Amino acid sequence: MKVRFWGVRGSIPVPGRTTNRYGGNTSCVEVRPKGGHPIIIDAGTGLRRLGKSLMEDAFGEGKGKASILISHTHWDHVQGLPFFSPAYQKGNEIAIYARQRDMHLEAVFSAQNRAPYFPVPLSAMQAQMKFHEVIEGQKFTIGTAKVSVTRLNHPWIAIAYRVDVDGASVVYCSDTAPFADFLLGTDFVKQAPSLDGPLPPETAAELAQMRAGVINLARNADLLIYDTQFSKEEYRQRPHWGHSHPDDAIAIAREAKAKTLCLFHHAPLRTDDENDQILEQFRGVVAAQHDRFALVSAYEGLEIPLGDE
Amino acid sequence: MKIRFWGVRGSIPAPGPDTNRYGGNTSCVSVTGDNGGLVIIDMGTGLMHLGNSLLAREFGKGHGKASILLSHTHWDHIQGLGFFAPVFIPGNQFTVWGPGPYGSSDMLEDILEGQMDPNFSPLQTLKNLAATFEVKAAPLGTPFTAEGMTITAHEHPHGSTTALAFRIEDGGRTFVYASDVGQPEADAPPSEAAVAFYKGADVLLHDTTYFPHNQITRRNRGFSTYEDAGAAAIAAGVKRLVTFHYDQDYIDDDVDALIEACRTWLDTRGGKDIELIPAREGDEITI
Repeated sequence: MKVRFWGVRGSIPVPGRTTNRYGGNTSCVEVRPKGGHPIIIDAGTGLRRLGKSLMEDAFGEGKGKASILISHTHWDHVQGLPFFSPAYQKGNEIAIYARQRDMHLEAVFSAQNRAPYFPVPLSAMQAQMKFHEVIEGQKFTIGTAKVSVTRLNHPWIAIAYRVDVDGASVVYCSDTAPFADFLLGTDFVKQAPSLDGPLPPETAAELAQMRAGVINLARNADLLIYDTQFSKEEYRQRPHWGHSHPDDAIAIAREAKAKTLCLFHHAPLRTDDENDQILEQFRGVVAAQHDRFALVSAYEGLEIPLGDE
Repeated sequence: MKIRFWGVRGSIPAPGPDTNRYGGNTSCVSVTGDNGGLVIIDMGTGLMHLGNSLLAREFGKGHGKASILLSHTHWDHIQGLGFFAPVFIPGNQFTVWGPGPYGSSDMLEDILEGQMDPNFSPLQTLKNLAATFEVKAAPLGTPFTAEGMTITAHEHPHGSTTALAFRIEDGGRTFVYASDVGQPEADAPPSEAAVAFYKGADVLLHDTTYFPHNQITRRNRGFSTYEDAGAAAIAAGVKRLVTFHYDQDYIDDDVDALIEACRTWLDTRGGKDIELIPAREGDEITI
């Protein structure tokens, strides 16, 4: 399979000269099994250009099939969907997977794609759109790919995906806070909580279970894509935002014995030069610890072949 | 009056090296009055960068006050709100003036509330903004005052809906903001109501999303070409015309060509005296 990055940014798209090299589009990753249909993870603004490239192929003739796995429906992970050209082409089949909510998924996506926010309703999408609700712990297949799911520590709950296909595996773990200090759920947290007090035992147990789920999901993964929006210091200022940092991602990769760790979901105001520095700094950390995994940082256009191509 | 462009792109932000010169952020323009009052027009992604620049001023201390004029509530005109740093600082005061059907602000407030729905935004509700955030229906055709400037709103067609244009008068000068201007009929002259609203403006900022050949297949989307903008500018006798809301697929070279074509069009249609100013992110003009 091939993994290609179309959007690597968190929170909000950031066009401009300081993001030219890593890219300013929000989260979108394409997993392309050998000879198979694309499995797209998240539908940030990067999805627009992916859609255009797909239209040059079977999707342009209305003969394309794609799956989109959504980590959660915060704007930066769904805002590209209304601009996904293959969805407007009759004959294409698009299956959207996302975590079960209180309301049906199709209603959630309909609320995004309707007046007064967007001129074209979801019902105008001519492709066959199917919505699949998934829940942590679930396993399912897409063609020859096996997909598994675990829960992450993020406001309103996000999920991580593992895709096994062509004798290789990729794990997408964004967005999540570390699993140590604070449990995020459906409550709004107004102020940054103190991280120094002891956790109630049941919260600590739930976080430990969540972390074990992530380690298990990422075990021996060929590629682990991980939310590293923050530095450790930035995380301590905003632990309630539900994002992690490279130190935590490295600890997860080490424990799960992942083969390559990919820094992802870069902070919107992080410049290219700062992202270079972060990568260099943590490559030093990984080398000093004699870690066996490779460390890369996601940029738009990065393509990583895994297993059978 | 000082006018600064923070986002000039239509529909969806367009990052990449090939949009660096004009900018890839969606619609946001600031207007600073002679008395220092701040009016912000539209809340596209450019709003985040405007907000960060305001933190060095009284807005950083919670003593800031501004009015926000909202043309309409499509995503590309509101998506910056959750990233506008001054709304998270208690003490700052914002008044949003936008489309209010039947003169009621309830629906507009509901729409902005829906933007913060927990499925889509970690803010969950507008009530979690720390600043004072008041939502008002902009009266149509009747001038109102915001931050010491006189504002008039005008409703124009925009695809299946409508959007508001704003006329801002301050210190004897006039700036008109008319983005997302639908042209329902091919080859029709600019509407009399629009021309009257733009009349004699020192600066008319007008939607120039398309080249004519792109508008033909997308007329239902409710955007103008540079020809529509040029025709409105000539008919209204404005002094300067600002191009704005470029299509997300146009790279810088395309926008260069669009502006050149607009200049030629003005020159051959009796608009030789109109100064043409391309909106570019970061640029400021003084009237």
